[in-house]
Amino acid sequence: MIGRKRYQNRIELLQGTLDMLILQTLQWGPNHGYGIVQALRVNSGEVLQVETGSLYPALHRLERQGWVRSEWKQTESNQRAKWYRITATGKRQLALDLSRWQQTVEAIGSIMLQPPEGEKA
Amino acid sequence: MSFFPGRFARRKAELDEEIQAHLEMDIQARMERGESAEEARAQAMRELGNVALIEDVTREMWGWVWLERVGQDLRYAIRQLKMSPVFTVTVVATLALGLGATAAMFTVVDRVLLRPLPYEDSRRLVEIKEAGRKGVVEFGTPFLDVQQWHERSHEIQEIAFYSMNKHVSFLDGSAGSTQVNAPEVSANLFAVLAVHPTMGRGFDGRGNDGSVVPEQAQSIILSDPVWREAYGGDEKILSKTVKLNGKPYVVLGVMPRGFTFPFDAGSPAVWVPIVVGDADAVRKKHVAPNYQVIGRLRTGVSVASAESELKVIQGDVVKAYSDPDDRELVTSVKLQRYDDTLVGSDLRKALLALFGAASVLWLIACVNGASLMLARGAARQREIAVRGALGASRWRIVQQLAIEGLVLSAIASVLGMGLAMVMLKLFEHELTMQFHIHEKMVANVSVIGLLVGLTVASALLCSMWPAIAAARASIEPALRQGGTQTNTSRAHYRTRTLLVVAQIAMSLTLLVGCGLLLRTIYTLRHVPLGFRTDHVIVANMTIPAYKFAGRNMTTELYQPLVDRVNHMPGVQSATLMTEVPLGTTGFKMTFTFGDKGHSPAELRRQDLAAEFRAVGPEMQRVFGFSMLKGRFFNEGDTASSQPVAIVNRAFVKAYLGEDGDLGKILGENLFVISKGKRAVVVGVFDDERQVSVAQSSRPEIEVSIPQITPGTGFYFGAEGFVMDLAVRTEQSPSLIIPELRELMRSASPELSTSTFTTMGQIVEDSYGSQQLAARLLMLFGGAALLLCVAGIYGLLAYLVTQRSRELGLRIALGAQRSDVAWLVLRQACWMLTVGCGMGLMLAYLTSLLLGTFLYGVKPHDPWTMGAVTILLLVGGLAAAYVPARRAAMVNPMEVLRAE
Repeated sequence: MIGRKRYQNRIELLQGTLDMLILQTLQWGPNHGYGIVQALRVNSGEVLQVETGSLYPALHRLERQGWVRSEWKQTESNQRAKWYRITATGKRQLALDLSRWQQTVEAIGSIMLQPPEGEKA
Repeated sequence: MSFFPGRFARRKAELDEEIQAHLEMDIQARMERGESAEEARAQAMRELGNVALIEDVTREMWGWVWLERVGQDLRYAIRQLKMSPVFTVTVVATLALGLGATAAMFTVVDRVLLRPLPYEDSRRLVEIKEAGRKGVVEFGTPFLDVQQWHERSHEIQEIAFYSMNKHVSFLDGSAGSTQVNAPEVSANLFAVLAVHPTMGRGFDGRGNDGSVVPEQAQSIILSDPVWREAYGGDEKILSKTVKLNGKPYVVLGVMPRGFTFPFDAGSPAVWVPIVVGDADAVRKKHVAPNYQVIGRLRTGVSVASAESELKVIQGDVVKAYSDPDDRELVTSVKLQRYDDTLVGSDLRKALLALFGAASVLWLIACVNGASLMLARGAARQREIAVRGALGASRWRIVQQLAIEGLVLSAIASVLGMGLAMVMLKLFEHELTMQFHIHEKMVANVSVIGLLVGLTVASALLCSMWPAIAAARASIEPALRQGGTQTNTSRAHYRTRTLLVVAQIAMSLTLLVGCGLLLRTIYTLRHVPLGFRTDHVIVANMTIPAYKFAGRNMTTELYQPLVDRVNHMPGVQSATLMTEVPLGTTGFKMTFTFGDKGHSPAELRRQDLAAEFRAVGPEMQRVFGFSMLKGRFFNEGDTASSQPVAIVNRAFVKAYLGEDGDLGKILGENLFVISKGKRAVVVGVFDDERQVSVAQSSRPEIEVSIPQITPGTGFYFGAEGFVMDLAVRTEQSPSLIIPELRELMRSASPELSTSTFTTMGQIVEDSYGSQQLAARLLMLFGGAALLLCVAGIYGLLAYLVTQRSRELGLRIALGAQRSDVAWLVLRQACWMLTVGCGMGLMLAYLTSLLLGTFLYGVKPHDPWTMGAVTILLLVGGLAAAYVPARRAAMVNPMEVLRAE
């Protein structure tokens, strides 16, 4: 119950943007699954909460496409975890995703932010 | 688990650990924020969600979940099949039969028709023969003609020639004397075949005409098996001297492994050179040596265009013939691809027809399998409906059933391979005789490839239909209680009826083929051969002719040998003859007259070509044929007495004309036997089958062996190449053959490698392709009939079970039991009538393919068609009788109470 309330004011992730967000997070340095969730949460001002049920399939999909690579390493608190690192093709993909996302945002913005007169005309 | 258990399990464990680590880190973080250990764990787990689901979805990203599913389906299928062993065994046996027959026939087809020749780009090799008034000249072409072709042809890149030495040759190796084939070849033969010696070199050509330089006349090239077996693979064999037929030859080269030429001559082989001499400088028949010719077409040139070019050239070549009669025989040329010459077109057709028959059997087996699967699908309707209701997608159900089909046909294909091996073993002798396959018949890559393909095809044919039917069926009515008589089951039934009708039609087609061949064999077995075949043993002798050069083989080898055999205990009589009737050595002497002129008698004689045999005076006692006029040879016919000959009835007809009186030929001076001596005809014997049972008698002349001396013109031809010893004895062959072999060894060591057989076997072998085809078709037809009867029975039994309630109700309402039985029988009659009708139409078309096999029976023989149809009808009705009886026996109380 408490959990659900906490999630209520968090927005759901747009389909397809999750891959971009993960790649962006890994751009700052290698990280493990839990770390990625935390990084996204903190950097979005506690707004974005990635579900583990979406995160791990996404990570494995990215790895299969060769955009990230993984290896087993210890964390600072001595926990063995799988660390993901962005690859060169991953970086190219990120740039591509980013420009596409920007176009989308601009397109949506130009519709949503039109002056109300347009509506009447 | 899956097909890569180790790797898959490891990745699964890793994923587990990854999620676990995530959980641990979350708990750690929460505890650091001050939550209690228990609270932290509970919260973390709640946030994580359904771990199994996460792992499932993640694994799907790996892209091989389908493999895991296949694994599941496989296990499920095996469990299902184990649960119904009768069904499993029936389907597996049915499919194994079809797969086995097809695999066996394909092994033969692969060996005979698809084998690659051991020559580079062998489709460009052509055999060139001259042709004229009497058709294609089989014995060869003189050197001058070959040279002309070689010089003038542009379409043919290179022309080589060779001569099959008819002698049995003996090579003295490090381990005694070996019997070899020693063809004489031109210098460019290996270049035409585009195969080169692995050691040493080939023969050097004199100029550009293909003949070998005279300095190499005593050179020899060894085949790989000869080099390995006779000389132990001696690395320093080159330039050493070996002895062939007692003469020294210097080893020039060794050919690569697997190479042999001519392809059908058998091995082991060695090659000696053709050095052209004075005899080659003329085009005179019986003077100039004749050669077989093989050419390599230029790339992209067709056989037809090369042939038309050579025909034009031959128009000029033939002008150089001085003798007008010789000229008429060689006015044209005939080209044929070399690989096509190796398998006659009759055999090719025969083989393809048999392969077709096997494929039909396979199709019948698949149809039967599909019918059984449909029946089972109907019985499993509820199970499948439950799976559908629980969320299995249609595709998943189809996949499941397809995998069941695959498991069944995979087991069947393993069994079928075994069956194929057994069949090949059973027919080994016939196959060897017919197709000259000397290697062991085992499955190779292409056979296994075909089997795998057929297995998958069988699985699809058997299971796809039922699977799609099952997947399409709506779930709800199948789940409803007592929903056995649904529309789906009626649709199933209709489909199965069609399948059974198809089966009946195909079986009838096979059975008609089988019936026609059985009639052929029956007719052949009743052809009067003209001689006795019982209790005769035949030895085909390997004659060391070179040892008797300059001596008289008649008096020094043959006469003493036959005298000793005649004195062996248990031998009634023994005789020598160049070749026994129906013999298979392939050696033939043909007698032709040199008559000129244009009177009817002279023209008849010009066209007469007679079989020529030298025989011993004891021959009549061994073979028991009858004389029509005059006498047979006797002990009074010796080298010093008047030379005599006998002829057969067919000869008299050809010599004197159809209405000629047999007696008139007696006393006729036919030909010169040796200087100043002409052979006189003293007898006429009845016609006998010489070449095969199916071919009528040809004109034949026989001379007596004791009268042949080295001075006789045909001495070498009659005695130097082949000689058969025929022995009439009451003793069993297994007892007498070793004794005979020992006796021959003491006469001359090389004779001990002679091959022995019985006259009965020779006759059997001469039925040849018909016999093989009849036996195979009997097997296929019998199997088809069995499958067909099983199919009819299965369907009607299913019908009775499905409709037992209705039948019970009918009986309860007053229907006669015979009416109920008729209800079932009517169904059978309907299927049989339609099936037989379609089958007869099919058979009408396909039996034409058998045309070349048939003897004494027409392809559309109404008796055979009728008899086979009746057989199938009787079999089908017998199969229907059992379920019909069961239908009549239905107890209305029982079935209605079951409601």
